[in-house]
Amino acid sequence: MGIQEKLSTSRRGFLKLGAAATAVGSAIASSRLVAMEQELGGADYSPVTGEKRKAVPYTCMACNIEDGGVAMIENGRIVKLEGNLKHPNTRGKLCAKGNSGFLHVYDPDRIMTPLKRVGKRGEGKWKRISYDEATSLLAEKLRAVIERAKAEENHEILNEIVMKWGRNRTGGAVKRFMHALGSNSMVNHTNICESSKKVGLEPSWGPDIESCDWANTKYILNFGSNILEAAYFMNPNAQRLVDGVVGNRAKIVTFDPRLSNSAGYSHEWHAPYPGTDAAIVLAMANVIMNEGLYDADFVRDWTNVTAEQLIAHLKPFTPEFAEKESGVSADDIRRIAREFATTKPATTFSYRGPVKHLWGAYQEAAIHMLNVITGNVEKKGGYCLPRGMGWPQPEPVPPAGPALSAIAKPPLYPLASHAVSTNAPYMVMRGEAKVSVWMSYYDNPLYTYPSSHVWRAFLGDESLVPFFTSFSCYMSETTEMADLIIPDVTYLERHDPESMPSGLYPCLSIRQPVIQPLGGTQEFRKTLIDVIHKVDPDGSLGIRKYFAFDSVEDWMKQHFDNIPGLKEEGGYERLKKDGVWPVYGKVDKETAKLVDDNGNEVKAEYGLYTTEIPDEEMVGTEISEEGTITRDGKPIGVRINGKNYVGFGTPSRKIELFKEEWRTFGFNPLPTYKRLPSRDKKPDELVLTTYKVNVHTQSRTASLKYLAEMYHKNPAWMNPQRAARLGIKDGDLVRITSPLGYIVTRAHLTEGIHPEVVAISTACGHSAYGRLATLKQRDPAARWAQGNDPDIANNVWWDDRGVHPNPIIRLSVDPIGGSQGWYDTVVKVTPAQAGDKYGDTDVSIEQAMKDYDEMLRYAYTGDLHRAAHKEVDIDWNNLPEPKLTGH
Amino acid sequence: MPANDFKIPDDGGAATSGPASPVTDMSRPELQARAGLYALLARCLESEMDANLLHLFRGPLKETVDELGLDLGEDVMNARAEDVLENLAEEFTALFVAPGGVLPYRSVFETGRLFQTQADQAEAAYKAAGFAFRNVYSGEFSDHVAVMLAFVGRLFERQLAFDEADNASAASACAVQRETFLREQLGPWVIGWSRRARGCALHPFYRTILELTEQVVWEDVSACSDQATLKRLALSNRRRLMRQTADPDFRKASGL
Repeated sequence: MGIQEKLSTSRRGFLKLGAAATAVGSAIASSRLVAMEQELGGADYSPVTGEKRKAVPYTCMACNIEDGGVAMIENGRIVKLEGNLKHPNTRGKLCAKGNSGFLHVYDPDRIMTPLKRVGKRGEGKWKRISYDEATSLLAEKLRAVIERAKAEENHEILNEIVMKWGRNRTGGAVKRFMHALGSNSMVNHTNICESSKKVGLEPSWGPDIESCDWANTKYILNFGSNILEAAYFMNPNAQRLVDGVVGNRAKIVTFDPRLSNSAGYSHEWHAPYPGTDAAIVLAMANVIMNEGLYDADFVRDWTNVTAEQLIAHLKPFTPEFAEKESGVSADDIRRIAREFATTKPATTFSYRGPVKHLWGAYQEAAIHMLNVITGNVEKKGGYCLPRGMGWPQPEPVPPAGPALSAIAKPPLYPLASHAVSTNAPYMVMRGEAKVSVWMSYYDNPLYTYPSSHVWRAFLGDESLVPFFTSFSCYMSETTEMADLIIPDVTYLERHDPESMPSGLYPCLSIRQPVIQPLGGTQEFRKTLIDVIHKVDPDGSLGIRKYFAFDSVEDWMKQHFDNIPGLKEEGGYERLKKDGVWPVYGKVDKETAKLVDDNGNEVKAEYGLYTTEIPDEEMVGTEISEEGTITRDGKPIGVRINGKNYVGFGTPSRKIELFKEEWRTFGFNPLPTYKRLPSRDKKPDELVLTTYKVNVHTQSRTASLKYLAEMYHKNPAWMNPQRAARLGIKDGDLVRITSPLGYIVTRAHLTEGIHPEVVAISTACGHSAYGRLATLKQRDPAARWAQGNDPDIANNVWWDDRGVHPNPIIRLSVDPIGGSQGWYDTVVKVTPAQAGDKYGDTDVSIEQAMKDYDEMLRYAYTGDLHRAAHKEVDIDWNNLPEPKLTGH
Repeated sequence: MPANDFKIPDDGGAATSGPASPVTDMSRPELQARAGLYALLARCLESEMDANLLHLFRGPLKETVDELGLDLGEDVMNARAEDVLENLAEEFTALFVAPGGVLPYRSVFETGRLFQTQADQAEAAYKAAGFAFRNVYSGEFSDHVAVMLAFVGRLFERQLAFDEADNASAASACAVQRETFLREQLGPWVIGWSRRARGCALHPFYRTILELTEQVVWEDVSACSDQATLKRLALSNRRRLMRQTADPDFRKASGL
């Protein structure tokens, strides 16, 4: 019987209940509806009506590229996002992800209030609490660790405070926070991204990435990068790539096992066997060196090897050898090598394709070398150093924690300068590291990591992770496991300093709230201040002084107000106004080039390494026999042919193709090629690769309706001939099995994939992340009835959210660069079995732990490392002992 | 749900905005009772149950609750208070706060997005009556169902005060304000939202409060609206997710 029947004369019944309620008086008075005069007249008057549209510049963070944007605000709401025409590198353009970013702000699936777990971990039962309660709870947990470390006089305990992040664009805030707490246990995400690229480059020439002068080049060799859709600096690089190919008639040749849209845009697409890029590159280098097509002067003056050394090293890597390894014909390799060496200027570009393998750092070092030997480094139209700008940290800056952290820098990977985050759960599960408080920021390893089920087991185990806080505004797969959620705001509501080397014009930019944090939410930076103030309320721990900011804006001012040049132009306020500094010029409406007031193109600088050191700065320096100029033992330049140059960011200030430190640990000091275990797979097996698509990040954008409609399912790409042999037709349900277990998905047959490869995109198959990511709104029960956006009510025409491949992808770490080998997993693809359902996933924790052990055999202390590096001249019985290193 | 579930009256009518004088005429006890009723509903939906509210249901309100046969849940009336408060706090958060719940905002119900112009409209109505919205937790907006219900309760209260002061024109203006707000801001969504939220509630306390909300608001909206307005409101409240009828595989498996 419903209430209406119970209250058969409902009016009378209501009155009775109302009368009774009235009698209890103020006990039920609303605490939110207050007399207006209490709020009027002050600075806090709510500006929800009558506000004129205004344009507020910001820095995008839909992905990690940090494009310049302008938000259009009307009546206090973001109504549109556009590119910032003052940003010299993104030139007024945003990608699809960037244009959709404002949907995050008003998403009802967003977490708006701190939540405290009340059920079992991961059960999804929460109680809302205030930011004050939440920050107090976290501070209490942190303080307990600090006090225990003091009581036991053991600094290592402080490292039980762990911060794990995915995207950390805080300009140093996280590091300040962790160091203030005395912990060095900062676990980034870089090894699932491109760390072996960084480690392939850094010891070679200093920086961790290249900045190609696409617009002015004549020839581009692209190795495994989807420049137009998903690679690093996608938006600015894509613009300049098109400038180069269309405007400058440059040729582009792409090597990629999959026909990406970038490969499709290229003049030539070659599909090598996965992980054989270095064989091709070294063969090209072999041709260039042996045919005398190299830049002899540059090799002699600016590298730490001789041409003769290189020729001897490259001898085994013939085009015929490369053809055997890669499947790309020797004739093509010779032809392309000659074209690349003789077409000036030219550049390579590479991203995840070559480096996301075991020994990926070798592949990157090899690709880099092609530019060096052809003399294209820092030339107009060539392969340039990245251009960025720094900003000071507010004083006092906390020192690093007193004890080195194994979870932050695993000792078995001494060359992996960007750490090995994939190993973190295994290390804790194996007792190699300990956790008391785990904090997660912009991170979703339960979705984004290989063998992602291991993270669920790890974070779900309260004996391993006693307390878990997530600073997230999205209920991701990872945040679902938290004990405490302290919501961050979206990137359109927060402050950060930024400088991304996304083009040839160095600049600073700012991320600033284009609207105030919605509904009284607070930005992460404010949460950090609050937590520290509660950990050390009276300053007696010596921590509070590092967070002595009056406000978030005060913090930002301290970053920006003392930068020479910017300071004179207004510092922080100047950046707020334009969003970027300096403003080099404007975008020409006809050519889209950056021009000055007279319409002349603003010229970029080249040859940065040849900047001469002024005589007055040479005073007090020493010059070694090799020409390295040092001051107080620190290299600052190099003398070549009697001139003193700043050179490159290496110990010799030259490009170090020969890396002595690599040899120390038994690795080949010169760029080389190692045949991967996956190259020796059985004939009935395939190599599983993954890829990003142009409208999604790996994990965070699946809830955005514009993007979800464009791309929401990810069938497995297979070559038709190979599929036919396996009895698989287009659209068939298939089971993909790795040693970890299997997933069930559908096949998409296309000629655009190597016959030995099956490729599945990321961004799909979420079990969390809101309605659109999970299609929860289609559940029979209305548990996910979040309202009636007409687009969602009427226009979600798809029933398929895709299948996530990461659970069956094995842990495979490059022992040099530390990168996860995303493209090393060997699988079998078979027609689905009886009872298989789309999306079924069945994986083993035990096998994942075995994979960890197997992977360690490739680390520098392992037997498989030694077996693979017989050519290295080193005393194998006296390799350095594993040790903790600094941060 | 067919539109006639909401008992649309047969007589016609025209205007959707409020008439110059109130449609309904209420006695002072009725005004007082309505004020109390809306305040009670608002309190129950505004925030988690606390010890004071639990005490009211177990004490001063118990007799009435029993007499009316309202099922608030056996535990609410008899279980250990701490347990009740914990359970209801979890239920409240799941229903009204956490992602995946049935967020109690008109903006979300009508647009699928937080903090749209519906929040401005509510704020404007509060301001015109001399009130302002103030959030207690982050993530609360002025178009929250509980704030709207509280506002109606305060207008009943104010009307009564003017009536008792023999200020008939001010009382009448109050009534017009209330009826306009009911028709234009509560009426378009609260009935449908309450029904949907009730379907998701696991605890009888919230099922009952939401059913009461649905019935109380509909009765008051019905009393001050013509048939055309009621039809419009009924349609507005019927918002629900459309089931897919097209072949999901009409595109190639790849979606390309």
